[in-house]
Amino acid sequence: MQASRIHPLLFAAITLALVLAAGPLAAQGEQRAVEFRFGDQTVDVPRVGAQVELLPVLRLIGAEVAFSSAAGTYGVVHGDHFIQFSPDRLLVLVDGVLQEGSERPITSPGGVAASFEFLEQTLLASLGFRLEPTPSGFAIVPGESREQQVAVQVAAADFAATTTLVCTVARRVEVRVLVNQEHELGVHFVDALPRLDSSVPLRSRRVTALRARDHVLTIELASGVDLLSWHQLDDPSRIILELGTPRPTPAAAPEEPFEQDVVQPIVIDPGHGGDDTGAVAASGLAEKELTLDIARRLAQVLRGMGLTVRLTRTDDEARALTDRTAFANRLAARAFVSLHANSSTVAAVRGAETYYMSLDRSSTDAAAAATADLENQADTQAQERSPLDLILWDMAQSEVLNESAGLALAVQDRLNTRLDLRDRGVKQAPFAVLTGATMPAVLVEVGFLSNPDEATMLRDPSHQQGVAEAIAQGVADFVRPP
Amino acid sequence: MTHRVLAIVAAAVLVAVILIVLLVTGGRRALRETAPTPGEPLPSPTSAPQQQVVLLFAAADGLLHPELRAVPLPTENHERIRVLVSELLAGPGTGLEPAIPYSAELLGVYVETAGHAFVDLSAPPAPLTGSHTELMLVYSVVNTILLNCPSLVDVQLLFSGEEVTTLTGHMDLSKPLALNKRFIVQ
Repeated sequence: MQASRIHPLLFAAITLALVLAAGPLAAQGEQRAVEFRFGDQTVDVPRVGAQVELLPVLRLIGAEVAFSSAAGTYGVVHGDHFIQFSPDRLLVLVDGVLQEGSERPITSPGGVAASFEFLEQTLLASLGFRLEPTPSGFAIVPGESREQQVAVQVAAADFAATTTLVCTVARRVEVRVLVNQEHELGVHFVDALPRLDSSVPLRSRRVTALRARDHVLTIELASGVDLLSWHQLDDPSRIILELGTPRPTPAAAPEEPFEQDVVQPIVIDPGHGGDDTGAVAASGLAEKELTLDIARRLAQVLRGMGLTVRLTRTDDEARALTDRTAFANRLAARAFVSLHANSSTVAAVRGAETYYMSLDRSSTDAAAAATADLENQADTQAQERSPLDLILWDMAQSEVLNESAGLALAVQDRLNTRLDLRDRGVKQAPFAVLTGATMPAVLVEVGFLSNPDEATMLRDPSHQQGVAEAIAQGVADFVRPP
Repeated sequence: MTHRVLAIVAAAVLVAVILIVLLVTGGRRALRETAPTPGEPLPSPTSAPQQQVVLLFAAADGLLHPELRAVPLPTENHERIRVLVSELLAGPGTGLEPAIPYSAELLGVYVETAGHAFVDLSAPPAPLTGSHTELMLVYSVVNTILLNCPSLVDVQLLFSGEEVTTLTGHMDLSKPLALNKRFIVQ
């Protein structure tokens, strides 16, 4: 009798204790693991706080994972893909390309753990998978592979009546350009997913917004602006869109010479000179001679078009970089074209490229530069600069920059169509000779003297003439009145 | 006797269960307390004072390419820059080309509190040529430093202790330069 009374009490206590124990255990169980399914296989993957162990998931999809203690990195090999990442680091190397993860993976009991976002967006997406929620966890299913994603960099050049929008895409893609609705264009990527590279801000008075979603890059246009034409170029792959207000009677482009414009000459700057030889080819051809040769030819072609031309040097003489720009500023030049031939320590590097100015400075330095520039411009009336002055200075810089981009695009396009050179495209760099130019200013690198093939080509007078004519046509495209 | 034995066994089981509960919940609590949280730095897996850094080198496509390398990385920017530039000067591992085309020496590193860094390299023994050579050299150093030292704002290169206006007659090197990803492979 006594025993039968004690036992239920004890069992009740034991049951209570078990319930107390089971509660936290069950709660921990929910936190402890999450099921991942891949095909027929499933694996329970431990969680670490809000993060999840990465190695079991990667092994589930058949990836080989190795930790290099020498490099401090995890290497993941799956098919043709190779990913490297490290605990505590934001940067991830995916197939040789640097990417910035949204957060850092962490060292965990199982090796390395990260958020579900990192697992899906950075690792699985790069390997062609995505996560699909299931009642008990996630299924790993084929996704839009990273190969389908294509980075798109958009640059705009505003001209008086039109805007040229250049969408540089990382590889050749098939696209269709459709007018979605009034003032909105859709560039449809047939088998690729455009991803906007927003590292370069877009400045255009005819484009109000850009966005990329799924297969479509949407371009919002300012009021009254329409698509005039579009075409694609290769190497690098680009989609060129001409935007503007359609004219009722599109007249053929006038081919007759321009009226003589004595007020605003084109200033051509043959790079280097004097003791500054510049690059020298193995054949002995010096950059300072080549740039002067091409400059003379360019001047002749432009004059033939009725334009006024001035050269910063007409002989083998030294000129300071600042004097060259100052010369163009004093003449209130319509455009400034600095001619150069390139050189690389890597002989295989080749091609022609056109640069315009970049303001690669931190914001504090840019503000200091603006103040200094304003003070230089008004050295007789030293006064404190207001924020409005800085805004106006920035706007003026932006305007010149936009025009320089337009000139660079025009010149580079003509070089591409006229000459059989590798197109290295239009780029921005903080070049001294372009600093402080108050007119559209570009620096053209006509080819690499360090590349044996291009050095041979650049020696050829007919090639030099071709380069001069291509640049002249580009300049003419830019200064031609609408 | 039987009852007493049963009571002792039951009490022992109860104590055991309570101990298990305490151990499990206590253990879990302890684990939770030491569980890493996002953003909280942890020792590297090897617990060696090494960290992975990104080094930028030149390549045949005319762009800077990243190479990951584990190096002992000090937390202080001044020392960190010394390590990074020394690794760049040691050259790439495989497949890439040095972006600094001469045996340069690191002569000094200066860091201002506002996040401006100055790196003094020995001047090239002979004049370098080409805007491409200049862009690769300058941005391999500037970008490598700024990618690995997030608290820094910009970097100015000095050559043999001198501020230079340009190296090959193209870039304006008289001012510090911010991170520029345009010359890094995308």
